[in-house]
Amino acid sequence: MEPIAPFQFRKPATVAELSAILADEPGARLLGGGTDLLPNLRRGIEKPPTVVDITAVDEMQAIRRLDDGSLRIGAAVTLAEVAEHPDLRAAWPVVAKGAGEVAGPTHRLMGTVGGNLCLDTRCVYYNQSEWWRTANDYCLKKDGEMCHVAPKSKKCFAAYSGDLAPAALVAGATVDVAGPHAPRTVPLADIFQEDGIDYLVLAPGEFVVALNLPAPPPGLVADYAKVRVRGSIDFPLAGVAVALARDGDTLADLRIALTGTNSQPLAVTGLDAFAGKAPDEDTLAAVERLVAKQMQPMRSTFTPQTYRRQVALRLTRRLIGDLFGD
Amino acid sequence: MSEKTATPAPARMAGARLPLIDGIEKVTGRARYTADLEHHDAYAGRIFRSPYSHAEIVAVDTAAARALPGVLAVLTGVDCDVPYGILPIARNEYPLARGKVRYRGEPVAVVVAEDPLTAERAAALIRMQVNELPGYYTPAESRVPGAVRLHDDKDGNLERDVHHEFGDTDAGFAAADIVREATFSCAEVTHMHMEPHATVAEYDGERDRLTVWSCTQVPYYVHLAVEKCMGLDSSRIRIIKPFIGGGFGARTETLNFEIITCLAARAVKGKVRMKLSREETFLTHRGRPQTDVKMKIGMTRDGKLTACQCEAVQAGGAYGGYGIVTILYAGALLNAIYDLPAVKYDGYRVYTNTPPCGAMRGHGTVDVRHAFECMVDRMAEELGLDPFAVRRTNLLPRDTETINGLIIKSYGLPECMDWVEAASGWKDRTARKNGSGGRVLKGFGMACSHYVSGAAKPVHWTGEPHATINLKVDFDGGITILTGAADIGQGSSTIMAQVVGEVLGIDFGRLTVIANDSAVTPKDNGSYSSRVTFMVGNAALDAAQRLKGVFVAAAARRLDCKPEDVECLGEVYRVAGSQDPGVSLKDVIAEALVDTGTITVKGTFTVPKAFQGGGHRGGAVGSTMGFSYATTAVEVSVDADTGQVTVDDVWVAHDCGYALNPLSVEGQVQGAIWMGLGQAMSEETQYANGLPTAPNIIDYRVPTIVESPDIKVKIVESLDPNGPFGAKEASEGALSSFIPALANAVYDATGIRLQETPITPDRLLDAMVKRERDARRAASQKGAA
Repeated sequence: MEPIAPFQFRKPATVAELSAILADEPGARLLGGGTDLLPNLRRGIEKPPTVVDITAVDEMQAIRRLDDGSLRIGAAVTLAEVAEHPDLRAAWPVVAKGAGEVAGPTHRLMGTVGGNLCLDTRCVYYNQSEWWRTANDYCLKKDGEMCHVAPKSKKCFAAYSGDLAPAALVAGATVDVAGPHAPRTVPLADIFQEDGIDYLVLAPGEFVVALNLPAPPPGLVADYAKVRVRGSIDFPLAGVAVALARDGDTLADLRIALTGTNSQPLAVTGLDAFAGKAPDEDTLAAVERLVAKQMQPMRSTFTPQTYRRQVALRLTRRLIGDLFGD
Repeated sequence: MSEKTATPAPARMAGARLPLIDGIEKVTGRARYTADLEHHDAYAGRIFRSPYSHAEIVAVDTAAARALPGVLAVLTGVDCDVPYGILPIARNEYPLARGKVRYRGEPVAVVVAEDPLTAERAAALIRMQVNELPGYYTPAESRVPGAVRLHDDKDGNLERDVHHEFGDTDAGFAAADIVREATFSCAEVTHMHMEPHATVAEYDGERDRLTVWSCTQVPYYVHLAVEKCMGLDSSRIRIIKPFIGGGFGARTETLNFEIITCLAARAVKGKVRMKLSREETFLTHRGRPQTDVKMKIGMTRDGKLTACQCEAVQAGGAYGGYGIVTILYAGALLNAIYDLPAVKYDGYRVYTNTPPCGAMRGHGTVDVRHAFECMVDRMAEELGLDPFAVRRTNLLPRDTETINGLIIKSYGLPECMDWVEAASGWKDRTARKNGSGGRVLKGFGMACSHYVSGAAKPVHWTGEPHATINLKVDFDGGITILTGAADIGQGSSTIMAQVVGEVLGIDFGRLTVIANDSAVTPKDNGSYSSRVTFMVGNAALDAAQRLKGVFVAAAARRLDCKPEDVECLGEVYRVAGSQDPGVSLKDVIAEALVDTGTITVKGTFTVPKAFQGGGHRGGAVGSTMGFSYATTAVEVSVDADTGQVTVDDVWVAHDCGYALNPLSVEGQVQGAIWMGLGQAMSEETQYANGLPTAPNIIDYRVPTIVESPDIKVKIVESLDPNGPFGAKEASEGALSSFIPALANAVYDATGIRLQETPITPDRLLDAMVKRERDARRAASQKGAA
């Protein structure tokens, strides 16, 4: 095991305290369960002067059902709690399933909602030791000039690999964000962008306080499917969340979100066009084309990207078929 | 069974389902592994590794590292000019690179500092000046005419080529009704033992003595290498093996970090602790090489094998290691499982600019066995023969000598096949595949395999017995078993205790096993090639019988009878046939100690020359006194959309001769299957310009408990005439039957025979998509015509 460079350790109790620490220490990193950060610290990818433990921040605790039927999930809530919570399982089983598909049981006991949503993007050229990355002249995402996935690219193609986000996206989730500016609530999709380095659109010192899931619209059904080589531990090679509502023999609503294929959790756009259409072969082929156009798996994983592309499309089709029923 | 008997009976230890004797320490966390040893007084060692694949070293600048406060020493290749290597004929590696570096990750320098963080910082300050040379990562690249030689003495970067022919293969193929050939590509895999590598070395400057604690399977070989590289008399070296978190072959040769730690300890005249990271453990490697196997088999219409021709090309990595043995094993073990009248083998061990390969569970046989068993499956299908039936057509006699001079004295393969066929419901498998199709494709597959029970000829030929055991008995009545056999989790210490306990029939609580401290225990060649139960077990049997002789003589004196009239009841000795209460063992021991004091009894075992292989060059490799046999059947489900394979069930029968401890045998067989599962389905090391792309447990996909199927184990006991109580190998043989059994099951489910392992979802889906495309194309061409 590699030694970790020394750092200051802070454990604030409120969002205000946390904001103040981040304002003072621009290089500080947030620590939830540590399942994402610690390997990066051990590998020397990150050497933050300060690590801030958010697990005691009051506003980040608990899953609560609000009067309007929505659910507020604190960013410090563990993935195990999300996976097991009865209200959540009743309202948004797809989100519980997404949380339950993360890594293994011990990771889920430690890993948090905020941590999995904001999970660092991953790449076979990035998630390596300091020695490995030096020997490879580093990479665009960290300390280097070149993207080894796409050597001519000026953009980093590290892949987003959280399981919670795609499920939350098809649920129409929003997030509460705090920091140096006034607290705000934004659609979950709005905190991400297609960039392996700056995949989070948060201002310096900003952080996620809670994830909000609306009351489930009647008739909406959803599911999440994850492809990986091992049934535990592995990050998704591709993960697909689909939500749909049916109106007789046609689709009334169709939502699709992907993980593992892009540098952000991909909320597929342009699906409104399928409202009122029957999910026949023509429709499914058109959906497939739309998804194929928006996703962009690259050579960032040990498993070839063609596979990730293929299974993402096949799972999309399978989920739509299963959710629509006969 | 539980009836009370009037007289005590000897305790039965052989065949008892005993938990491992060191299990409690491991389960409770009390076991101390090398990295757990007290180290408050130890300096931290840190290896600086080459960032280059292949380069001439111009200079290694360590000035900045040395200048860092807290750094005690920095050593480079200048500090040791003695090459090492497990095989006396292939010593071409230096603990720290000299002149050249040949793979990314090769140790170049070592820093000794007051703490790990300082050592890490200092290592980062080391600079190498080099002339880069072309890097070759595959045998094809290394063998291109004009390629730069990795080692000056090896033309074409060929470490060793082997060309053997036994019988007349031309005639064999001519006699066949069908001859089929295919090439299989098997990925490089590594052991992934749970415990990352670690060594602690303490050098006593005043007395010029060195004590080493290391995670090794072969303390004796470590002793020899350290002696040579340090130029230190062997009497001044003490090697201790603490608890070991697995080995699987990775630790069957002295590894660079072990020697480096010793050199570092002497440089600072103190204690140095070296803990390798998981990545460094991957880089140290010594795993199974990437191997291309071209397999050609001839078969008659009724399934009789007529000839086999095999070419194996192994990407051996940058140094010799066990390479020559691996390439020889691959050829030798084509034999000794079926009746093969003719075998031609061409093996090529090629140097590549990647971490050196070595021995790994099923050493040498696994990839060629995979190719062979897949081909037999394919040819059986073509001929309309059942996979079990075709193998039964080719059984060996139970007592025979193979065409390449291997001797077989026990052969439980027929019984293994019978059980697996029945237990797996093989004959009903078509019915059981009902519902297969659509999303879930079901399939069944089977294969057989075998392995040696210890190499008949040791690596270092000294003329000594192959194994030695000491038993010590003193006033306390305890019996201490002193053994150099390294318990690496396989349970060897437990087996030694059971063998001794069985012979003496004593209370198990009297026994203490002391293993692996060169100052205390007799030399042992180590735990590899499944030699320990067979060879050291036989030595333990010999020692225990001698000790029993001592006890009987003492009892005869006490009982005032002739020794041949003494009856041993374990805890009591008495005159045979008499009704008297006899003498307690404690009293017998007291009598035995009179005039002699502490008793030390020695037992040994030597493999007779007849078993040491044919007279041909390389003929010793593959030779053994007993082959184990195994049959495996696998049931799989394949997801037609994603190519993901789920192993639903595994049935495996293993002929281990005799199960000295059935509980332990079952565990070992399950472990072998599980390891085969990884190689078959998900584990592989690939390199990006010589950098391993998966040097961690997330990307190197060892199966987890989620992937572990229900593994049903049947122990077959063929009672080998030479094994201790009939026992032979129990932990390697089944591995190599799993991989082809899985491949054959995947074929049964999907109709696709993948020529590559591992059978990952992407490879399988690719093949399925390609088949659909080809079918569409063929259909459209047909339509156009």
